[in-house]
Formats: sequence, structure tokens, C-alpha cells
Amino acid sequence: MTLCTRPWGWLGWLPTLFAMPCAAADDPALRKDLTSALALLGTPCGQVVQATRQRDNDHLVTCQDGHRYRVFLNEQGRVVAQKR
Amino acid sequence: MPPSAQAAATAKRSAPVQAHVVAPVLAPPQAPVQALARPQATPPLDLQSLEARLKATQAIGVFTKLTLKNQIDDLLAQFRAYYRGQLKVTLTALRQSFDRLVLKVLALLQDADPPLAMAIESSRESIWGILSNPAKFAAV
Repeated sequence: MTLCTRPWGWLGWLPTLFAMPCAAADDPALRKDLTSALALLGTPCGQVVQATRQRDNDHLVTCQDGHRYRVFLNEQGRVVAQKR
Repeated sequence: MPPSAQAAATAKRSAPVQAHVVAPVLAPPQAPVQALARPQATPPLDLQSLEARLKATQAIGVFTKLTLKNQIDDLLAQFRAYYRGQLKVTLTALRQSFDRLVLKVLALLQDADPPLAMAIESSRESIWGILSNPAKFAAV
């Protein structure tokens, strides 16, 4: 269990409703990387303004133009952008 | 000798000198033009080195590198299918796809890794020479 989902002290009995996905620290390099990857894929985005890591090589991305994508590496090793 | 005659004599003497001075400046130098007219030798293509540099460059991140790799693999698959007669496209269309991909790579690298961008640009025709030749492509 990661730090982000570990129950906080005596609040541990609270339901997992309060568990939050582990958000990546604001990483401009990651946002730039995902912006370039989306541009290469030809998906409309402009610029990535927020990137939230869900797991390794799997991010939820919010773009400047309002589009949201899940950008991840599939089993075949391909970078995929799924619209959310 | 009167001053006007002196001046005229001086001008007369210096005119040929001036002509000699001016003429070489105006006349185009022969040797440098000949050197420029000789075609520049294409640097030998080192695909492995280019690939290694592209993998190692700090100019682009992991997702971008993987996406580029996907697109390069897709293009190579198109060439394989073309040479097997499975793809109904022309070599011209494949050239356009190739040029588009090279342009994407250059756009990603030109600011943050100009030497690599230049190396890729100068290797463009050599790489096309391999891709467009069935025997050379099969050996890659």
C-alpha cells in the first residue's frame, strides 16, 4: 500500500471512500513529456496542465483545452491515449 | 613640374596600381569556388550510434521516446509489407511518411539537442537509401 492510500492514524476505520489516488508531485518534465507524446499521437491537447499518476506508466492527464486522457503503456509496449 | 601636372602624373601612376588592387577584389577567386563546387562527402551512416543517442538524449522524456519507437516500428512494418507485396502504397507515399516522422523527431530535438538533430538530418538520405533498397532493408 502506498503512502497516498495508507489510512491516516485513527481515521483508519473510515471507508476507502476517503482513499485518494497517489497523485504525482507537480513535475514539469513529466507534463512536457506527456504533452509531446500526445502531440505525436495526434490527439488534441495543446499542453498538459495536470498529470496524475495512477500506477507505473499510467497517468490521468488534463489538457489546456479541457481534454482529459488516460495515457498508458499497454501490454504490447505501445503508448495509448484514451479519452476520458 | 606644376602641381596640376604632378597630380596628373600621380593619378596616372596609381591608376594601374588601383586597377591591380581592385581587379583581384572584383574577380571571383577560382580555387575556393572550385572547392565549393566539389560535392560534400556524406558522412558514413552509423545507425547504431544514432539509435543509442536517441535513447540517451535528455531532450525528450520516456513516453515521447516510446511513442517515437512505436511510430518507427510501424513505419518499418509498412516497408516490410510493401516489399512482400501486401501493402498497396507507392514508394512515394512511404517517403512522405518517412519525411513526416523525421520532421517530428527534428522538431522534438532541435532546441534541446541540436547536435543530435543535425546528425539525424544529415543522415536522412542515407537512411532513406537503406529503406528504399529491398536488399539493404532486408539486411537491417
